[in-house]
Amino acid sequence: MSAVASPKPGRVQQGLRAERRSEAIAGYVLISIPIVLFLVLNIGQIFYALYISFWDWGTRGPREFLGIGNYQSLLSDPIFWKAIQNTLYYAILVVPLQMALGLFLAVIVNQKIRGQTFFRAAFYFPAIASSAAITVLFLFIFAPDGLFNGVREALGLNPFFEFFGFGPNQNWFGDSRTALNMVILLNAWTTSGTMMLFYLSFLQSIPNEIYEAAAIDGAGWWQTFRRITFPLLGPAHFFVATVSVIGALQLFDQALIAGGPGGQPNNALTTIVLFLYRSANAEFDFGFAAAVGIVLFVIIFSVTLVQRRLFGQAPSW
Amino acid sequence: MTLPTPMQGGTARPVVATTPVADVARVGDRGVRTRRLVAYALLIAYALLMIVPFAWSVSTSFKTNSDAVRQLTFMPNPVSLEGWQTAFNELDPALPRLFFNSTLIAGAVTLTNVVLGSMAGYAFARLRFPGRELLFIMVLGTMMIPDQLRLVPIYQILRTLGLLQDQKQFLGMILVLAISAGSIFLLRQYFMSIPRALEEAAKIDGAGFYTTFVRVVLPLGAPAIAAVAILQFQGTWNGFFWPTIILQERANWTLPLGIAQFQDLYATRWPPLMAVVVMSTVPILILYVFFQRYFVEGIAAAGVKG
Repeated sequence: MSAVASPKPGRVQQGLRAERRSEAIAGYVLISIPIVLFLVLNIGQIFYALYISFWDWGTRGPREFLGIGNYQSLLSDPIFWKAIQNTLYYAILVVPLQMALGLFLAVIVNQKIRGQTFFRAAFYFPAIASSAAITVLFLFIFAPDGLFNGVREALGLNPFFEFFGFGPNQNWFGDSRTALNMVILLNAWTTSGTMMLFYLSFLQSIPNEIYEAAAIDGAGWWQTFRRITFPLLGPAHFFVATVSVIGALQLFDQALIAGGPGGQPNNALTTIVLFLYRSANAEFDFGFAAAVGIVLFVIIFSVTLVQRRLFGQAPSW
Repeated sequence: MTLPTPMQGGTARPVVATTPVADVARVGDRGVRTRRLVAYALLIAYALLMIVPFAWSVSTSFKTNSDAVRQLTFMPNPVSLEGWQTAFNELDPALPRLFFNSTLIAGAVTLTNVVLGSMAGYAFARLRFPGRELLFIMVLGTMMIPDQLRLVPIYQILRTLGLLQDQKQFLGMILVLAISAGSIFLLRQYFMSIPRALEEAAKIDGAGFYTTFVRVVLPLGAPAIAAVAILQFQGTWNGFFWPTIILQERANWTLPLGIAQFQDLYATRWPPLMAVVVMSTVPILILYVFFQRYFVEGIAAAGVKG
């Protein structure tokens, strides 16, 4: 390339070219291991999963080419539709709950208050524990003879719960009416701190002058929030919603721990990912499981695209 | 692309900049005071809601089996070490073994992410080579691939490699988690913020790319490396999805896997189970207390990961 500019490359240019080359080599050397791992274990996996999904694939590998057979039996499987229904129900309830809690906490913690650092740390605290620890903790607290039922009895709240049809020894995770709602509560509780931190980092970027101007115009607290803070947080809503929806569609840990591979009781906790796990790890129907994985990937990908559309252009990051 | 909470210039910015809404809003003194009181009441109530369940697990681990479900008082009476003894001696695998497995896997994965991540992060931040941008976009693109899609093919590959047997399952875990796009991204962003002049000075002194990387970039990148290390350690330590798939040998279970399985196997024996829950949370809690800002800074990257 430099030869075009100067017909007789001098020593300096040769040295420069050699240095360029050694820089490029150093670059490739330094990225080589991660790139190979990503190609083999991430990107290659999409194609491998797609390939497997066209086969009747058992523990010993491919048995018979099915074409789109796995997808057809998937779409006619009532349990799969139950899994979709459960996952959507979960997402539709948990996402607004997480966002509202996160925004609420962020706005409160963002005020001039004492102990701000403590509250922020406390609210984020559940997010540092493992999903397994938290789920088992909830199973314990909401067991028929657990803390929750004990406390509501001690407080004389049982008639209130009776009104909604819950007996004194209600098994919150074992009742198909309440199991999935319990997981919603549990995950809203765990992630509200994370969502708060997301919102806080965006709140910080709103310039103070805007608030000052609003105050001069006589805007009250609620007006300031509704007309200024909330709309200006547009990118934050997009970011939090995306993270929250993608997480919700992948619900698995809590469902498996609370309901086992069967999504007990009565498939109330069978989510898309649990269904996938069951097909692979219990029924060893790998072709079918791979097809579920592809469908899930398509769903998550389309949701992200739709969200981008709805919220306008993506924020600068 | 910049993170919502980027680490600029090596020092962490406080996440919260207080907005003066409360001060400038024209509300009477009494209104302000009432609103403050309500705000504090809410804050304290919510903070209790966050902390009480964990305190309850600590308390339960020191109760007897029968007290665990009947006793509604916070202080165990009598204080019993039965649960801890069961956790240490009778559970299979016992608590120390679970702890060892978790430490081994989380430690190894943290190490590979720091080493591979800073190497690649430096290359993507500073070195010029054909295809750099494209390769970087590819790396970021891997964050869009859900782990669940990879379950079946990864399982096939690990079985073909013989990594689903006995202790080789550890190797399988480490291989799958060896490097995350989030680690590379975080380190690249940070390395880009280091003034080039420092590297150029090293170059004039005759240092090559590798020497510059080890002697100049790595020491200056320490805060970002610490953030990546802490996030990876926490994420792997708490991980559940890949362990359930790969660590099928009982002796190889990690703490979260043990918690989940014991819950099924010994459903009515809460104190030993709570002892395992406490032991799985305490190491991360200690990290959190000492390195809170790294957790906070890394949230954004973790969020990008989904």
